Amino acid sequence: MTAPHVIVIGAGSTGAATAHDLALRGLRVTVLERGEVANCTTGRNHCLLHSGGRYCVKDQESAVECIDENLLLRRLMPEALELNDGLFVALTEDDLAFKEQFVEGCERCHIPYREIPAQRALELEPFLNPNVLAAVQVPDGVFEPFRFCLAFLATAKKNGAVVRTYTEVTDLLRSGQSVTGVTIRDHRTGQTETLGADIVVNATGPWAGEIARLGGVEVPVSPTAGVMVTVGKRLTNRVINRLNKPSDGDIVVPQRMTSIIGTTSWTILDPDQIEIPKDHVEKMIQKGRELIPAIQHTAVRGVGAAARPLIRKAGADEREVSRTFECFDHKRDGVEGFVTISGGKTTTARAMAEKVTDMVCAKLGVPAECRTRETPLVSYRLFYM
Amino acid sequence: MAIEVPAKVFRYRPGAAPRHETYRVTVPDDATVIDAIEAVWRQVNTLMFRHACHHASCGACAVRVNGYEKLPCIVPVKEALAGRAEIVVEPLRNFPLIGDLVVDVAGFFQKQAASGMVITREAEATLDGRPYQRSETFDDEGKLGERPYTRFENCIECGICLSACPTMAAADKFFGPAGLAAIYRATRPADGAQNKSLLLALADGEQGVWRCHSAFECTEACPQSVDPAGAIMALRRELIARKLKRLFGARER
Amino acid sequence: MAVLRDSKLKRILQWGDVRRRKPGMWAYALNRVTGLGLVVYLYLHLVVLSWLAQGPEAWEAFVALAKTPPFLALDVVLLAGLLIHGLNGLRVTLNGFGIGVRAQKPLFIALMVIAAVASIVGGAAIFFQ
Repeated sequence: MTAPHVIVIGAGSTGAATAHDLALRGLRVTVLERGEVANCTTGRNHCLLHSGGRYCVKDQESAVECIDENLLLRRLMPEALELNDGLFVALTEDDLAFKEQFVEGCERCHIPYREIPAQRALELEPFLNPNVLAAVQVPDGVFEPFRFCLAFLATAKKNGAVVRTYTEVTDLLRSGQSVTGVTIRDHRTGQTETLGADIVVNATGPWAGEIARLGGVEVPVSPTAGVMVTVGKRLTNRVINRLNKPSDGDIVVPQRMTSIIGTTSWTILDPDQIEIPKDHVEKMIQKGRELIPAIQHTAVRGVGAAARPLIRKAGADEREVSRTFECFDHKRDGVEGFVTISGGKTTTARAMAEKVTDMVCAKLGVPAECRTRETPLVSYRLFYM
Repeated sequence: MAIEVPAKVFRYRPGAAPRHETYRVTVPDDATVIDAIEAVWRQVNTLMFRHACHHASCGACAVRVNGYEKLPCIVPVKEALAGRAEIVVEPLRNFPLIGDLVVDVAGFFQKQAASGMVITREAEATLDGRPYQRSETFDDEGKLGERPYTRFENCIECGICLSACPTMAAADKFFGPAGLAAIYRATRPADGAQNKSLLLALADGEQGVWRCHSAFECTEACPQSVDPAGAIMALRRELIARKLKRLFGARER
Repeated sequence: MAVLRDSKLKRILQWGDVRRRKPGMWAYALNRVTGLGLVVYLYLHLVVLSWLAQGPEAWEAFVALAKTPPFLALDVVLLAGLLIHGLNGLRVTLNGFGIGVRAQKPLFIALMVIAAVASIVGGAAIFFQ
């Protein structure tokens, strides 16, 4: 008897990690992506392997998810990460006052940390603002989102998954109260075809609502855009965060020989059409300068924006919305064979995949356990080979 | 402020003759060429193109802009349009074509994998010329320990150097500038002697460094200062030094 | 998966298209053109030498031809070709051993200036001696 067939729509970090988990548990998987792997939200993210420090005061659920996945990913893709830790730096009295809550938050969320005196921080990071008052070292890291997704998908392919890029889902196939597959247009050939599935997983990030609607259901996902500004020099070895409540432009991430400043946050209607507000770009440079004054004299190399899929709770302020993730079994909306996984961040992609794959396996009566924690990923290059 | 950009884009599907189509798109005046390509895609959603990070670190978007190899995510539209009637966007040369601007990178990644280059390397001892102190870092169990700092390699495996290389044009099997530069990087650590000999033998082989004809276009076109030509010449120096040593009886190391 | 490639011929001739290319590529193309030119010259030279075997009249006719302005002009072209190919060839050899790689562009420009000057001086000598 052949294994059940699961279609995963979306090859960003969520779809890639989900395909890997599904394939590892012996299911037949087809990933459908209308463009190149990680071509939107995941591709343009901040590349930050979160230690969870950013969320340890106000969003402890997210913080714990982050630190657990952070330490795990170091074992799963050891050669594809910059692992020089991060610093949370206090530049003002207000920041300094926040330190106590921050340290307490790290303790509560089991985030390893070490307090660093200001002078020492400047010895470690010569381009840090010389007015630094205090610093706390945490296990932040840096990944490369495109290769991150390729590694998960390459491993999934090795375990039998089929990945079809440039293949756009144009409709969901319905039969009574169930989703039974998808209609796709393969842009490589221009042909339209249908593909049957036992379960369709909607892993489309900010488009989750759009795809859900094809199935006649709603998901409370709000596309929320953010801008990243990359300058052309590697000015720090560590990720530099502002020691305070999360706000715009308070993180600088080194990557190769560049530094990425981010980010901002504004709700948008169409994730395919994001106009980058010039004042956001200016704000990133301004805020970046506060942490690392040399940014002032460093040429901008690239500016990008993409939309996060934030799960909206009614009435919540953008910065207050939890960065955690959620799975929706649309059986609750009366539609079988269809689930959505949304929210979250690339750092927690594996955990998101575990949760939605558990849900899919439960629905299909497949007793396989998750093994993604112990299974290192193959080289990202194998995706194309 | 928005500007109108005429973009002449290469269109192709297997089975049909390739052609150039001109589209008119409107983008912000500080947009980059990838923004213009996306704007074209919003007009004709059949356009196939690769992109991901939009800040020149993933290497996915490499194409030819006005006939020259570029990463369109860091080329301002104004610069591409300067003194021209339109921006011409075409796929990289010397790769098989899948459709429109998308090329088949399977053979390329096979070479990259064979090169043994790990995508991260030890970080430099200075940051933009300034020395810094090292501290212990956390490991995968959250314990502090002495270990080297790392960073991603310069090479983003974009394929631009292969498109620019005249030898690559005529010879599919040539290991290529990126691959040879990768072998150079992979053979720099002092340890790993056995693997180093194998990799140097690959570089010394039929499709290795000796097929390079010193056009230096790879180094010129590279957006990431990898200097593949420099790496190829450095490998040649090393290979010659080894041959001379062997000639005079020294043990192979 | 069906894929398109430019024809083998088109790809082999790609080296000749130096539009938008940089000095290293011009050097490459120039060396190929002068190399081909010198091979053609070598063949012609052997043809001319074979006329020696045909006796004094054939040789005298050739010498008369060799003194005409168009032929002298071709001599200058030959000189230029030799200088370009030889000097650039030295540069390529050095670079190939890993020497002077960083300076390959200014070195090329400098050598071509020398080739140009020497061609002009030599050309003057050829025409006015």
